[in-house]
Amino acid sequence: MTHHLPRLLAPLAALALAVTACTAGSSTAPAPAGSSATTAGGSSDRITLGLVAEPASLDFTKSDGAAIPQALLVNVYEGLVKLDQDGKIVPALATSWKVSDENKTYTFELTDKAKFTNGTAFTAADAVFSINRVKTDWTTSLKAAMDVVAEAKAISPTQLQVTLSAPSNDWLYRMTTHLGAMFSATGVDDLANKPIGTGPYTFTSWNRGDSITLTRNEAYWGTKPHYQSVVLKYFKDPTALNNALITNAINVVTTVQAPEALGQFTGNSKYQVIEGTTNGEVLLSFNNANEIFKDKRVRQAIRHAIDHKALMETCWAGKGTLIGSFVPPTDPWYEDLTGVTPFNKATATSLLTQAGKLGATLRLRVPTLPYAVSCGQVVKAQLEAVGLKVTLDQLEFPATWLEQVFRGGDFDMSIIAHVEPRDLKAVFGNPAYYTKYGTPEIQGLLKAADEGSVDEQTAKLKQVGRLLAEDAAGDVLFLLPNLMVADAGITGLPQNAIAVAFDLSKLGKR
Amino acid sequence: MTGLSRGAEALLPPPGRRTRRGTEATLLVGGVIIAVIVLLALVSLVWTPYDTGEINPSERLALSSDRHWLGTDKFGRDVFSLLMVGSQTTLLVGLVSVGVAALVGVPLGILSAMVPKWWGEVIIRANDLLLAFPALLLAIMLTAVHGQGVVTAMIAIGIATIPSFARVVRSGAIGVMKTEYVLAARAAGRRPLAIALRHVLPNVASLVIVQASVSFAIAVLAEAALSYLGLGAPPGTPSWGRMLQEGQELLFVAPRLEVFPGVAIALAVLGFNLLGDGLRDRFDPRLEDRR
Repeated sequence: MTHHLPRLLAPLAALALAVTACTAGSSTAPAPAGSSATTAGGSSDRITLGLVAEPASLDFTKSDGAAIPQALLVNVYEGLVKLDQDGKIVPALATSWKVSDENKTYTFELTDKAKFTNGTAFTAADAVFSINRVKTDWTTSLKAAMDVVAEAKAISPTQLQVTLSAPSNDWLYRMTTHLGAMFSATGVDDLANKPIGTGPYTFTSWNRGDSITLTRNEAYWGTKPHYQSVVLKYFKDPTALNNALITNAINVVTTVQAPEALGQFTGNSKYQVIEGTTNGEVLLSFNNANEIFKDKRVRQAIRHAIDHKALMETCWAGKGTLIGSFVPPTDPWYEDLTGVTPFNKATATSLLTQAGKLGATLRLRVPTLPYAVSCGQVVKAQLEAVGLKVTLDQLEFPATWLEQVFRGGDFDMSIIAHVEPRDLKAVFGNPAYYTKYGTPEIQGLLKAADEGSVDEQTAKLKQVGRLLAEDAAGDVLFLLPNLMVADAGITGLPQNAIAVAFDLSKLGKR
Repeated sequence: MTGLSRGAEALLPPPGRRTRRGTEATLLVGGVIIAVIVLLALVSLVWTPYDTGEINPSERLALSSDRHWLGTDKFGRDVFSLLMVGSQTTLLVGLVSVGVAALVGVPLGILSAMVPKWWGEVIIRANDLLLAFPALLLAIMLTAVHGQGVVTAMIAIGIATIPSFARVVRSGAIGVMKTEYVLAARAAGRRPLAIALRHVLPNVASLVIVQASVSFAIAVLAEAALSYLGLGAPPGTPSWGRMLQEGQELLFVAPRLEVFPGVAIALAVLGFNLLGDGLRDRFDPRLEDRR
């Protein structure tokens, strides 16, 4: 018997190893950056940022995903315009612009000082090339926002004229995202590996699975950034990310994925904690094509059943903002709509009874993301408290979740943060989207908002936000906070994460 | 013990009451630990101090107190109640997976000992192939196909445990097949199935019981590992491995959330291993003459 024991223990040891491997992963992950740690901590010319979700490619014209523009836009590539910290559109490569009376023609005055890192100067011809290229060469889902462009032409090397086929308030805003990035007409051969832009940083290297290194562009036309070298280091595990800061392997945690763990940084003078807002609406989405969700009373009952304050308190440590609809406070058409369907268990139960759906079973299928798994359990408990049954399962993110929920529509409810800026139209204006929502009324309002004056846009989108809340198209659980922790001496970190890009040029040192 | 050479054995004090007492103690300690866990699981079927499905923000992350013996987790759920209900998952996964493994592994082992030598070799080499396949990888594969859940975890652990049963049973069965009473039964024309059930199975039963106890310990650990990796119990189903996973992000804020399920897992594994050791010492005929 005894000689069998080692054999029996082998799988045991393998399992033990697997478990420790995970923990080891968290504790040893910062080690490879150990070499940079000494320089990162002490020197003024190098900074290491910790991020989550490494990009799959460096070419945002071909690959979706927020990680690529987060790293490259504003830093390596510049647009004609960009967003400031308050969400206002401000000049970048365009020094100024005029809009014609009927809101269809934009005339941009461009800087004549900018140069691409391949040595060519930036001119209006490059701008025309870049704008036209979105329609012809881009393959991402976002490119549709540029369909409205009828013609882009260079009036002179520093003057660009863009004509739209219909007035669009949204267009100039989209130009602040990576859709508006300016490429060199002679520098787009190998975007996936060799990005060429006019920005304050140049791309240096990409150590796949670990980090991207950017180096200061010494020939930059504007104010040169403080840090000579920036390392963007990617982590899969929230705890490993936090630990990396403690062990000096990184200088900044750009997004805290375990808000409970903030306690280890607050009150420590070595660190600064930044709390702001984002565009990330955590949505309890309904599959509105399903029979049960065609009944408005069921949708409203769910909104009444959820105690949002308690939910945010338990699953995201009370960090975040309760907004009640799908508009973040940084958008001009924001309105606090938390009062539309207040938390009331009795109302929820009676609405369900009226609809004859008391005791119905709903499948809540959440992605394996920290906030979704946490909030899923709270939602389940709160819905079961008013007389629904909820089966909760988690799907590997992104692959399985995208396949089964997002594309397959095999779900009743899910939880995901929609982080794209101004995404009302994308999420609730398109019946083919996974939310399966987009009433003609909403679509009409969205169109009117895009084509009307700025005041009209604000009024109409406000109306859309309210309609979505009243009709209970989904339930925004809360707005994700922008939570960052950094070494105390670092300045220029963005308070709010509302733009697509993470502006590295603002970073400095006290 | 059997691994000791004769010379080394001679240096040991003469075996006798001491050894028996040691065996009894091992058996007793193991038995008591398991009995307590089983008792907690049974009680939790009808009563727990708090409802584990209920979320209570006002009491979240509470420390140990009269109200919550082991404090609460980040959802405000009572940790002691979670441990009680979690033991159900642990025991269920252990029982079913060991059951699956024994149900397939025992007949396979007996079969490999009874068929002609060449066929026996084929069966046991195929068995070795499965033994060489990592259990976790198997579980991940099954999860990819059938989705995450306790049932998938039980089956995966069960399949991964089959080879050890088959191996142990085969070695015992080969010995039994050589005994005179089996030869006599064969000479008398008893059918192979009758021989397997009447003579072989009862004689390897003690081996199976010992193996089951040890496998149970491995299954407990495997379930914890799978749940920790998010491949076992879904969120909302109390499980010790899940508790470990949920507590991980709070490691520096509330380390107790890792300590309690960790201790529970360690105790369960220890309990089943001690029980297995004790049973082995009691059943092993080679230790017989020392008593």
